[in-house]
Amino acid sequence: MAPEVHSLAQTPITSHAFSADRSQLAVSLNSNDAQIFSRQGSDWVCTETLSEHDKLITAIDWAPNTNRIVTSSQDRNAYVWQEQPDPETGKLVWKPTLVLLRINRAATDVRWSPKEDKFAVASGARAIAICSFDPENNWWVSKLLKKPIRSTVLSVDWHPNNVLLAAGSADMKARVFSAYIKEVDERPAPTVWGSKLPFNTVCGEYTSPAGGWVHTVGFSPSGDVLAFASHDSSISIVYPGGPVVHNIRMPSLPLVSLAWTSEGTIIAAGHDCRPLVFSGSEAGWQKAGTLDDVNAPKSPEARSFGSNASVGRLKTSAFATFRDADSRGQSSVGGSASPTADTKLLTIHQNTITSVRPYEYDANGVAKVSTSGVDGMLVIWDVNAVTA
Amino acid sequence: MDNAFRKIDIDQYDEDVLQESELYEADPRGPAEVLEESKQRQAAVRSSLAKNDIAGALTIILDNAPYGPNVDDAKVITLQTLLTILNTTKSTEITGVIKSLSMDTQDTLMKYLYKGMAMPGWGDISGSVLLGWHEKLTEVAGVGCIVRTMTDRRTV
Repeated sequence: MAPEVHSLAQTPITSHAFSADRSQLAVSLNSNDAQIFSRQGSDWVCTETLSEHDKLITAIDWAPNTNRIVTSSQDRNAYVWQEQPDPETGKLVWKPTLVLLRINRAATDVRWSPKEDKFAVASGARAIAICSFDPENNWWVSKLLKKPIRSTVLSVDWHPNNVLLAAGSADMKARVFSAYIKEVDERPAPTVWGSKLPFNTVCGEYTSPAGGWVHTVGFSPSGDVLAFASHDSSISIVYPGGPVVHNIRMPSLPLVSLAWTSEGTIIAAGHDCRPLVFSGSEAGWQKAGTLDDVNAPKSPEARSFGSNASVGRLKTSAFATFRDADSRGQSSVGGSASPTADTKLLTIHQNTITSVRPYEYDANGVAKVSTSGVDGMLVIWDVNAVTA
Repeated sequence: MDNAFRKIDIDQYDEDVLQESELYEADPRGPAEVLEESKQRQAAVRSSLAKNDIAGALTIILDNAPYGPNVDDAKVITLQTLLTILNTTKSTEITGVIKSLSMDTQDTLMKYLYKGMAMPGWGDISGSVLLGWHEKLTEVAGVGCIVRTMTDRRTV
């Protein structure tokens, strides 16, 4: 099944999040505003702009069950948006509520918890703000996870039990914290990560041998396994029982985002511009292939627009002389007539992929993932179309 | 804007600043031990080279290479020994030798290549030899090996 490619903008997509029924998409196009796109036919059209932040929005998450959007920004704030009928026109608009995070640096990442009653905001203030709703005062309050984080927190991911949180940080470590809030959570059952976990307990701290910022972390669907990818071009999978850490070193550029698709498969993508698939179990993990087959025949309009019409003209010898003079010094690209062949990458994404999110679920787990990147493209991939 | 109005380095008094040493596992061996070890390895490498076992010589000198602060003498000895190996290998044999090294050894070799390239004219460093090895190593170990050289705080 060929991937669905959508070119949303000419600017980078900082972050994307789909609504529950996948008919709407919240994106931040490297600006202070978030935009809501709605699907119309096979295109995405911008239907609303959420303008409240003073600085770049760094992350967006959309809670599927409660239908709330949370946005975090470099202006040290987060807003929770809810769809409410506008008093004058009566149609549904998104209304923001400010969340006081009490951080003194930019927020870098935000995720709703599985039950959607809390969300975690990673920040450059060497802290993670766990925010929950206080019904008495009708606002969101935050509690900060500080020790022992020594540098910017780059990404967070929640455990399915709504209490444990994984965080990847620029001090080269991936940690698992307990974000248990007394008023909101009930006592969680013991897990492989520990039992009796008051707020800010560190259940585990892991690092990759060659170090490097931990760009992304993720719990497996059951929550028993943790994966993190760091800047030393490696991905590590941690089984806390031993603890057993499987570290896969890659010959390609570092990965920046990952998503688990089942208990034994991970899709991760980054500076190499293509999603990679890793599979394994407690015994060992290895790279299974990629979702972007570089060698497959591409649809005609993707590669050679324009050159089909002008092939007759280009065959005359005068044109051929000038064309060859232009291409002298460049290696020939398999006889392709298009002179733009060497500036366009062979992968679908033309620049770093910054975000991989699950898109569609089926009986086995995740069936499709969506990726967005610095090239302004959003692509939806079939998880099973793996080429080695 | 001129920020040079401070007369004292205030960062040294900040207790919570992130130290370089917190970012990687320190070498458990002491400096004297490391120096001893590198001298022994130098001798072992000489005997390997006499038997024309290039891959073996590389593995001896690169595995558990000295890293971090306070071990500069050991690092110098290791670098000199490594350079003799690199200079005496025939260019046709380089790819074969690299393929037989483990991933750890390949990463450490890349670190030394960059270290050598940063010191042109030191000892018997030859830029073309280092570049030749760099090209062959990147073909085998990929760009990831270079990224690891840049990221790893355990500097050789």
